Amino acid sequence: MGAAKKSSIGNPLRTRVLRELISEWKKYIVIFIFLTLMIGFISGMYVANNSLLAAAERVKSAQMREDGHFVLKDKADDDLFEDIEEGDKVNVRAYYVYDAYDEIDADDIREAYASGDYRENLQRLYDEADRKAHEDYENAVGDYDLDDPYFRPVPVRLFENFRKDTDEDIDGDGTRDSGIRVFINRDNINIPYIMEGKLAETEDEIAIDRMHANNQDIMVGDRITVGGAEFTVSGLVALPNYSTLHEDSTDSMFDALTFDVAMATKEGWDRINSDEVYEYAWLYEETPADVRNEKRVSDNFLKALITQAAFADNEIEDFVPEYANAAIQFAPDDFGADRAMGGVILNILVVVLAFIFGVTESNTIAKEAPVIGTMRASGYTRRELTINYLEPPVIVTLLGATAGNILGYTFFKNVVSAMYFNSYSLPKFDTVWTSEAFVRTTIIPIIMMLVINWFIIKRKMRFSPLRFLRNDLTNSRRKRSLKLPDFSFIRRFRMRIFLQNIAGYFMLLVGIGFVMVMLAMAVGMPDTLSWYQAHADEMMLADYQLVLTSDRDEDGNKIETVNPDAEKFSMEDLVYDNGGKGETVTAYGMEPGNRYIDIPADMKENEICLSTACAYKYNLEEGDEIRLREKFGYDSFDFRIKKIVEFDSGVSFFTDIDNFNALFDRREDSYNGYFSDSEITDIDDDFVAAVVTSEDIHKMAAQLDHSMGAYMLYFQYLCILLSAVLIFLLTKVIVERNEKSISMVKILGYTDREVAGLYLVTTTIVVIISEVITVFAAKKIMSVLWKLIMSRLDGYFPFVLSPSGMLRMCVLVFFGYLLVMLVDFRRIRRIPMDQALKDME
Amino acid sequence: MADSKNKEKFLEIADIKKGFGEGETRQEVLQGVNFSADKGEICVLLGPSGSGKSTLLNIIGGIDNADSGVISIDGDSLAEMNEAALTQYRRRHLGYVFQLYNLIPNLNVKENIEVGAYLSDAPLDMEELLDVLGLSEHRHKLPNQLSGGQQQRVSIGRAIVKNPDILLCDEPTGALDYNTSKEILKLIEDVNKKYNNTVVIVTHNEAIKDMADHVIRLRDGAVRHDDYNTEKISATELDW
Repeated sequence: MGAAKKSSIGNPLRTRVLRELISEWKKYIVIFIFLTLMIGFISGMYVANNSLLAAAERVKSAQMREDGHFVLKDKADDDLFEDIEEGDKVNVRAYYVYDAYDEIDADDIREAYASGDYRENLQRLYDEADRKAHEDYENAVGDYDLDDPYFRPVPVRLFENFRKDTDEDIDGDGTRDSGIRVFINRDNINIPYIMEGKLAETEDEIAIDRMHANNQDIMVGDRITVGGAEFTVSGLVALPNYSTLHEDSTDSMFDALTFDVAMATKEGWDRINSDEVYEYAWLYEETPADVRNEKRVSDNFLKALITQAAFADNEIEDFVPEYANAAIQFAPDDFGADRAMGGVILNILVVVLAFIFGVTESNTIAKEAPVIGTMRASGYTRRELTINYLEPPVIVTLLGATAGNILGYTFFKNVVSAMYFNSYSLPKFDTVWTSEAFVRTTIIPIIMMLVINWFIIKRKMRFSPLRFLRNDLTNSRRKRSLKLPDFSFIRRFRMRIFLQNIAGYFMLLVGIGFVMVMLAMAVGMPDTLSWYQAHADEMMLADYQLVLTSDRDEDGNKIETVNPDAEKFSMEDLVYDNGGKGETVTAYGMEPGNRYIDIPADMKENEICLSTACAYKYNLEEGDEIRLREKFGYDSFDFRIKKIVEFDSGVSFFTDIDNFNALFDRREDSYNGYFSDSEITDIDDDFVAAVVTSEDIHKMAAQLDHSMGAYMLYFQYLCILLSAVLIFLLTKVIVERNEKSISMVKILGYTDREVAGLYLVTTTIVVIISEVITVFAAKKIMSVLWKLIMSRLDGYFPFVLSPSGMLRMCVLVFFGYLLVMLVDFRRIRRIPMDQALKDME
Repeated sequence: MADSKNKEKFLEIADIKKGFGEGETRQEVLQGVNFSADKGEICVLLGPSGSGKSTLLNIIGGIDNADSGVISIDGDSLAEMNEAALTQYRRRHLGYVFQLYNLIPNLNVKENIEVGAYLSDAPLDMEELLDVLGLSEHRHKLPNQLSGGQQQRVSIGRAIVKNPDILLCDEPTGALDYNTSKEILKLIEDVNKKYNNTVVIVTHNEAIKDMADHVIRLRDGAVRHDDYNTEKISATELDW
């Protein structure tokens, strides 16, 4: 007899898979739709993000986006401009020698000539000058890090990018509606992308930011007043260096509502009644290879710039390399974070769905146990049958992923990009094919579905053919049932149902927990913003924070107020290098015993009181050490946290003002401004650099609300749908598993209501308990996630989820469950009584 | 046999017809069945496979509808009952015993019997019933930890705990061996004696007719013989 030939007949089980999909179409269609929508959205997110990032990369070269910019107090003359472009440190030794020689008094020289030994006398004068120059140089070595062996010159191309920061009056009522930053038309750096209309061509035209225009309903052709001059809006633009409208690179949040950027002709710009700000943008002659290199190069560039500015009697007022510019980096960072978050959400969802699939497949296997036993007895292998039961989940996932990706590249890409365009000033983009979307939304979900279900089904298939034939697939070899407390029969019955379906109910708990975390975001975000806006005033140290340009007038008189509420402060921005990303921490020096912040009287020089915002954000506690460094200098400081003080709206620390002034080499009695609960009216505006009120805090909440508020409502609806789908799939399993028992109790005379009372009330109780457990867990998880979100921003405010918000979350999930309960009640009613008799026939 | 004329006619079945399918494939399973049963009697419906006996039992049990004809129990006609009333009818009057027991797999012995007790305002005493059924020591076991005979005892316990007027038994020994079958039939006989229920047993086992008060033979959907047993014997004496 020859070797057995493989049968030419195809595996008949394949046909069965199709029939299974058709006969259980309701279950599979729900999972399919759910997967399609979820994968579609995530795929759309990847496609939109990658396409926008590609567009941003294109902007970098095509629109000559800056590598950074800085602001000087005075306009740079030609020499300084050239020196900066060379990117090398000033020859400080030569400078001091020249300076010292220059300072030799002419009378001393005459006297030296007049004396007998004039050579010796002159030599003495110049030796003295050399000694002074040498001393000055030695002092400067430390101040300017002149002996840094790693310093390398950084040649750049420098561009004047002068601007005016002024008021925008949109409705022509003579009052400020918004702040606006106006640049002169340019074609060599930060070239604007015209979204609509055209650039300004005449002196009364202006092109403004598209996002701000949309938010304020400004159309091309509208008239607006900028810095006292009227302009016609000639176009709406996206500036490559303002993809988000951050007024300052240290702002926690961009502000496309009350901040605008614009471009005008030189003549139009001159009409604006505001001081010029001497901003210079640079492009590296040699582009750094990566962000790490970019930081090193920009640090070197800054080192050189510090010497150049200082020795040209100029001052650096701002220095923002591209990698630290929130207006450029916020959007791509946000894309990255969204992608990461989307990927995690999709993975969790696929795992939850995979387990639900696993539970349903286990249920199918239990129902078909005698058939499986027969097949196994006939010679079918475990592997063949495992594959058979594995096919529906994999096929549905594949179909869902395919449909989802099609929707991702078409519909959802536009949905996601519309969301981004609602917040960011982005140029138009072309769709880019991304293999990442395919891998993340197709390959990974299929593999996860395959692995999890393989594990579950294989485990279920481990029984012998005889056990299958006998319908005996229980793991327990217990001789007795689990003893329950002496409750009423109905309560024990429900507990038995719970124990029977404990795996399914566990998945329900996980699923509801997952939904709750998303709901915590959807409900907590508006809650947090509302809380933040309602408490903004309380979160201020004082109602007014007045920052002075100087604490002395030209005659050396102190700039002071008689306002009894006012308390002096000194202020300095320092940098906390948190995992490589430098974040601003504002240092305040204040008098102990002041009325706004409780500082102990016995503070040592290195001791600080840290704000709660800073402590929460960086997980710092009393007694911890923290190292901060100068923003535009080389010194770093080690502090010990003596106390955490209540201040939720600022990442800052407080110390004794005397210690502060000593630490930062300031005059003993110097100060930067005043905190006050009442308006300070007796200080001349010329000495007022800024006044910070609660309005500034409201701005951030308003922008977040505008960007995300509407979506949160949709997100809540999505969560209801998600919870309904998860509960539907699991309760379907529970009802199906008990169909015969339900049929039997109906025969015995139980009414539909009583049956539902047994089988649905158990689920109701589980849903309620799951909600109670997970709503608290979700709040905790969201608080942690919130910290991660906040770590990307320069500010901090805590996550708030009110008890009413938590109740709302529970109600929303329960509403989803009620929808399912109606379906389940109908399902139970439709179970025929002859179901229990089928085995007999 | 007891004198049937002195007994109250408790269950009356008149001209019951039932068919399945449509057109050419239609099969008339019951073609006008008539009989009645007295209160407290054991009535055996005997017939080969396909004779319509299980269909008739389901119609009596209110879980299937007749195409025509009348079933009345204690004077109440099933035809006039809607679904809710039928549920109440089963709840008040019927106990069901199936060939494959149909116990609820996640409830233990006692709880499975409590499923029946819950439906009654005056259920039988659980402890006494467990004793009668011989299940006291198995009360905490799950159905899959019991033998077939024990499972059928639980099934009978569930049916009679609410002390039903009629106990419907569909091939109660069909899945059991000889000795266990006799034990179960003895149990049914004891229950009948103790609680005076009307018992309707559907079977194809000719021997069981000997323990019945009333024997009805069905063939091709019609009653061929309707006899009262004059030489009734105890279930323990049955042999086949």
